[in-house]
Amino acid sequence: MLPLVARRLRCLKNRVAGLKRWEWVRNAAFLSLGFWMLFGLYRAFFRLLTFLNAIELIGPLLVWKLTAMAMLTTFGMVIMSSLIISLTTLFYASDLRFLMRAPVRMRDVFADKSLEAAFFSSWMIGLALFPFVIALARVRGLGWSFHAGFLFLLAPCLLLAAIVGMAFTLALMRAFPSARTRDAVWALSSLSTALLYGLLRFSQPERLVRPDMLRRVAEYLNYLQAPTAPFAPSWWMTRGLSACAVGDWAGFAAQAALLWGSAAAAFAILILAADRTYALAYSGAQESPRGSRPTDLPPMPEIRLLGERGRVLGALLWKERKTFFRDIKHWSQIMLVGSIVFVYLFSISRLPLDTPELKSLVCFLNIGTTGFVLCSLGLRFTFPSVSLEGRSWWVLRGAPVDVGGIMTQKLAFSLAPTLVIATALVAATNHILDADPFVARLTLVTIWLTACALCGMGVGLGAFFPKFSVENIHQIESSAGGFVYMACALGYIALVMGIEAIPMQMHFQQILGRAGAWVPWAAWASAAGVAALNAAAFGIPWVLGLRNLEAYEGD
Amino acid sequence: MIELERLGKRFGSLVAVEDLSLTVSRGEIFAFLGPNGAGKTTTVKLITGLLRPTSGTARVDGFDVVTHTLDAKRRLGLVPDEPFVYPKLTGAEFLRFVGDLYGVPYETQRKRVPELLEMFELLDRGGELVESYSHGMRQKLVLASVLLHEPKALLLDEPMVGLDPKSARLAKDIFKTLASRGCAIFMCTHILEIAEKIADRIGIMLGGRLQAVGTLAELRGRSTSSGGHLEDIFLQLTGAGEYAALLKNL
Repeated sequence: MLPLVARRLRCLKNRVAGLKRWEWVRNAAFLSLGFWMLFGLYRAFFRLLTFLNAIELIGPLLVWKLTAMAMLTTFGMVIMSSLIISLTTLFYASDLRFLMRAPVRMRDVFADKSLEAAFFSSWMIGLALFPFVIALARVRGLGWSFHAGFLFLLAPCLLLAAIVGMAFTLALMRAFPSARTRDAVWALSSLSTALLYGLLRFSQPERLVRPDMLRRVAEYLNYLQAPTAPFAPSWWMTRGLSACAVGDWAGFAAQAALLWGSAAAAFAILILAADRTYALAYSGAQESPRGSRPTDLPPMPEIRLLGERGRVLGALLWKERKTFFRDIKHWSQIMLVGSIVFVYLFSISRLPLDTPELKSLVCFLNIGTTGFVLCSLGLRFTFPSVSLEGRSWWVLRGAPVDVGGIMTQKLAFSLAPTLVIATALVAATNHILDADPFVARLTLVTIWLTACALCGMGVGLGAFFPKFSVENIHQIESSAGGFVYMACALGYIALVMGIEAIPMQMHFQQILGRAGAWVPWAAWASAAGVAALNAAAFGIPWVLGLRNLEAYEGD
Repeated sequence: MIELERLGKRFGSLVAVEDLSLTVSRGEIFAFLGPNGAGKTTTVKLITGLLRPTSGTARVDGFDVVTHTLDAKRRLGLVPDEPFVYPKLTGAEFLRFVGDLYGVPYETQRKRVPELLEMFELLDRGGELVESYSHGMRQKLVLASVLLHEPKALLLDEPMVGLDPKSARLAKDIFKTLASRGCAIFMCTHILEIAEKIADRIGIMLGGRLQAVGTLAELRGRSTSSGGHLEDIFLQLTGAGEYAALLKNL
């Protein structure tokens, strides 16, 4: 095991030592950008927690309930992330071929790769927890010992979540060595997760956090005091934190012992299980579905649609469609996207809104939340699309196809589903909330422009930060480029909302009866501002990406 | 067909290719030899436009690969040293895809794809995903794909790696036939026997510079080594003295 750890340290040392001056500057820029994003999160959490804490009698209960929910959400997200990352890291990583041939014990190889999978599936989600905990400490007036306690409890909690994902993946690969069955089980598991998510939402848990929906105050207090998923390590962590907050060191030690003990025991059991199963599971993973398709030349509907002049674009789109939908790892994401759309619309339909003005206002704010959903989908699907050409990039680069054509195909492939989802979320929300015609038209046109701009930005920045040699899509998403995309996309959404707030304000003033509410030049300036912003959001990343990819010499 | 004029490529302070000038004519098989890191693959990437030269020019059929990239690429076929092919396409689908990228008419594809799959003994596996192929099968598939669009110049970077003896023999015969039809073939290889047998001219690179170029007879004439084999000439030009020292470490 020691040589494996040493190689990682040596690789890290070499990577740091090999950084050029401009790379240091670039990394410093990304770090400061990341810091400001985390600071923004901190400010938001601080305001929320301050508000909750100030509520008479039940303020502290609400704060700790929210903490428990944040921990549970983090725990669940790490499990989901681990499910996907462990599949590639434990079974398809490029260095596994070398490690499997080397005279290294199987359990050591597994331990090495599982720690890697645990790290990559949890670091970013864990990092997002820091602003919450720092805000919590400030609101509750807690000192450094609380922060130290959090750090001490965080590692085993994240490790336990990652172990759940890895154990499921290992069991799946061992139980279903046949590639076809494994794919089917993976798809069914994804479908079950999506359904479970939908069912949880449709059970309307918000009724519990709204006191007016409960018959007695006592019920509400009971709910706030009751454990949130008592058997989940996230609850142990919450209890540990609350013990730490009141200086109950015995209680903190008990929870810490529970977390560290469980993490150590679970990891040991996983390693022991891997000792018996990993070799077989790895061997099964190397098999590919052998089912044969016809060798006749496949029809390409895309070419038929685009005609002979669009033949190259049609062929590229056809290739993208085939390779995308045949990759089982994308299915779980697609199913989750479907469930997110339904849950989103269900949540909108349950919003307690009374007046038509309020409903229209929510329809306008819906641009922001739909925009956020589109940003997230862009990070998962659009931004990585160039990098997902992977080691086959030479096929396109060596062919008589210009880089602009390749990027256009990536844009077209992303744009169609993005527009459908954007339209579904906004049009359905407008319909459910019965938005007035002005707001309905404004939001629909805005979200179409936003979908186009975000797709262009995703492809452009994906081409500006290509990573053709990565092993799993999460390495693309969590790269510096992914970070820049997300920061730019969220900033763009905020600017769109800010500019469109001007006509919205005039519109509401008119509804409320103020004469001369509409100032034509302000309305036109706002429209021009949105148009210019969209052109810049699409055009600048596109041109930067195009130039970079044309000159690209890596991999 | 392939003209390199004072071609150079630097990666920071590292000189990968320097002042390389040579021509590969129609119907000629040119073997490009050299030890690892000599600059062979970099040269291939420069000709295909995968890398941009820092000096000099590379032209294919008169088209500069930097200024007329697409025209040059239309005339080129590339077999890289590692045959990475989309794992989620079948062999037949990959050929169809390449055919469309290079503008091969559909009717030609319908006729040629099964022929090429059969030629490389892939017909019964042509409907399977490439991810289930061995390295050699992928190499054969890439070879089939370049034959589909009938390039005027063929760039081969270690084309025999992973091929079984029958396929290697087939590949050699294909290269000779293509050359006889006027295709210019630029082949990087470490297998000196192949260069000796099928190449019309041979170039030997070392440290990014072309050390020698000519027919086998010309190289023999210039060599001072006792044996007349290409291996002796190669070792003499690329460090035969060191070779003896290396064995001491065994």
